[in-house]
Amino acid sequence: MALIFIRTAVIFVTLLFIMRLMGKSQIGEMQPFEFVITLLIAELACIPMADTSIPLLYGVIAIVAIFVLHQIVWLLDLWVKPMKSVICGSPSIVINRNGIVERELRKNNLDVSDLIESMRAAGYFSLDDVYYGLYEANGSFSALENPDKSTSSLSLTLIESGTADNKNLKKSGVTREKLDEFLKKQNAKLKQVIVLTVSPEGRVYFQKKGEKYKILKLEVNGEW
Amino acid sequence: MVKSIIYTLTAITLCVVLFVCVEIYVNKQFEEFTAAIDTLYKKVEDETANREDGYAVKQMWLDKKSKLHIFLPHNDISYVDYWLNETCGLIYTGEYDLALGKLEVLKEIASTLPDSYAVKLENIF
Repeated sequence: MALIFIRTAVIFVTLLFIMRLMGKSQIGEMQPFEFVITLLIAELACIPMADTSIPLLYGVIAIVAIFVLHQIVWLLDLWVKPMKSVICGSPSIVINRNGIVERELRKNNLDVSDLIESMRAAGYFSLDDVYYGLYEANGSFSALENPDKSTSSLSLTLIESGTADNKNLKKSGVTREKLDEFLKKQNAKLKQVIVLTVSPEGRVYFQKKGEKYKILKLEVNGEW
Repeated sequence: MVKSIIYTLTAITLCVVLFVCVEIYVNKQFEEFTAAIDTLYKKVEDETANREDGYAVKQMWLDKKSKLHIFLPHNDISYVDYWLNETCGLIYTGEYDLALGKLEVLKEIASTLPDSYAVKLENIF
């Protein structure tokens, strides 16, 4: 019996550690330890229920072990402040006044497209619609809105993490030559660009690695 | 908050009590069963074992197994069933040499089975 309890604890700690390593991309609005419990509890309840060769008591003990571990994690979370960031993680500021913080995105196993998607889900369709954007410890996205937010259309991503999106280039009517010329004007190489998005009005959000973002103009012919 | 701490401590205490009781109970059951097997082994060695001896051990095991099912996986218990039935069958037909081999296996299972559920590093990982 004690063996089942210890084995459950080992799996719980391992899963929690792995979930923390996986970053915020794997968590859906839950604290990592809550997510681990959700993953485990269904299996723990089902296996002894369906497999008659395993005593039901094994499932009961494992579920009680999960309850005890949950309570311990919760109390540590409450009483020992440094443990909170170890167990649950801490919020990551991914957009600040300089633009996208690529290092924070990488730390959470996210990329620019994940960030743009989270922003769209939060109701922001342009990267400069927010002053600050952050991923909470539970993986949800929060933003401090830019009061001058003026976007009324959907921006297309032409360059993301140093890679041009040919499909979006075609859709926006921007040729490769035109894009290269634009980059040359900005004294940037394709690989140095974190993000370049363009709105149907030709408003460009451009950010080069290690620099603050710029709002520029680019002629577009596409309709979207 | 206080309620939660009380629930947690109660759960931990109950678990520890249960673990200790189960450990003692399972070990005791297998010690008794091993002792019965040892006695049967001596009788088979002397070729004095009869149908009643086999039946007595079988009856003892049946009584223990109904409770052990709560604490041990049923597949492990069925191993003991299988080897005990084979042994009894050979004793009934008077094939003592073959019965000794089966009893040897049964002794090994009875002595190692509780160990495979004890809190040991090799069992945890």
